[in-house]
Amino acid sequence: MDDNDLSRYGRHIMLPEIDFEGQQKLLAAKVLIIGVGGLGSPVALYLAASGIGEISIADHDKVELNNLQRQIAHDEKSLGQSKVNSCAHRMKAINSKINIITLEEKLTGRQLLSSVDSADIIVDCTDNLTTRFEINRACVEKNKWLVSAAAIRWEGQMSVYHCGAKDSPCYHCCYGMRENGSQEFDQSCSANGILSPVVGVMGSMQAIEVIKLIVKQGDVLLGRVLLFDALSMQWESMQLPKNPNCSVCA
Amino acid sequence: MNITLKCFAGLKRHLPANAKANQVIVEIDDDMSVYQVIDFFKIDREEAYLVILNGVFVCPPERDSTILKDNDTLALWPEVAGG
Repeated sequence: MDDNDLSRYGRHIMLPEIDFEGQQKLLAAKVLIIGVGGLGSPVALYLAASGIGEISIADHDKVELNNLQRQIAHDEKSLGQSKVNSCAHRMKAINSKINIITLEEKLTGRQLLSSVDSADIIVDCTDNLTTRFEINRACVEKNKWLVSAAAIRWEGQMSVYHCGAKDSPCYHCCYGMRENGSQEFDQSCSANGILSPVVGVMGSMQAIEVIKLIVKQGDVLLGRVLLFDALSMQWESMQLPKNPNCSVCA
Repeated sequence: MNITLKCFAGLKRHLPANAKANQVIVEIDDDMSVYQVIDFFKIDREEAYLVILNGVFVCPPERDSTILKDNDTLALWPEVAGG
């Protein structure tokens, strides 16, 4: 780190849990963010500002007017652009020294596995269950940390998964019954609405968990799901045991 | 026996009128299962996907066989997938 870096990251370095050594770890870390919409925007901007050395962002969508109510990485000038280019532009404006890799595609199959394998931590900011199940499978197969959050209406949920940790559940242990369930619920923001700052809260908390994992400080949400009801402003923490019959991680 | 029933987000509409802060103490019959309580309050089993008994997730295959005890707390949330 040079003098500019010491100045830029000084407020991190002042924290005894991070210090100089922790900031060096952040600068050396590789994070994959899948989805740079409502959740992915704050994740990408905070991790860029925090000095994560290499951030890959994946999204196949283009910026639309109805995104601007909550997807703060994009603005009116980026309407019609790919979300990854729009988001990368904003991240670079905040921190030009980090390496940003844009993946303008729907990550799936071998490409998903390869991208997951290349990262230290994967952040799931997608908007549908099908993609979430596939990302979880890739993280289990590659034994990677998965920081997952979701939001809709006035509600948010998040957890951290890593099947290498003893007795740790995976995303499928909790939500897996939905994959082949008798009733399909459309839980997308486009079908149900979303209060703008709810994705900001959940995405910011994902960024916190990523940083804690990298600097190896504090207790992450491993084996716990955090549930947020913004309308009543209540949080609940739910213990999530590993499902011994889970078809993905058992 | 009495349990505390908590319903969040869209499920709040199922709580009795005397509920406060998303929760209410309700009297139920002894030996009722998680699903029997959910059915008793006419809550859609699919909508109440996240079932939390005393802070621990109860997975769907165990909801018929998990019997509530006096003073238990049962919390219900819908699942969320948007982003």
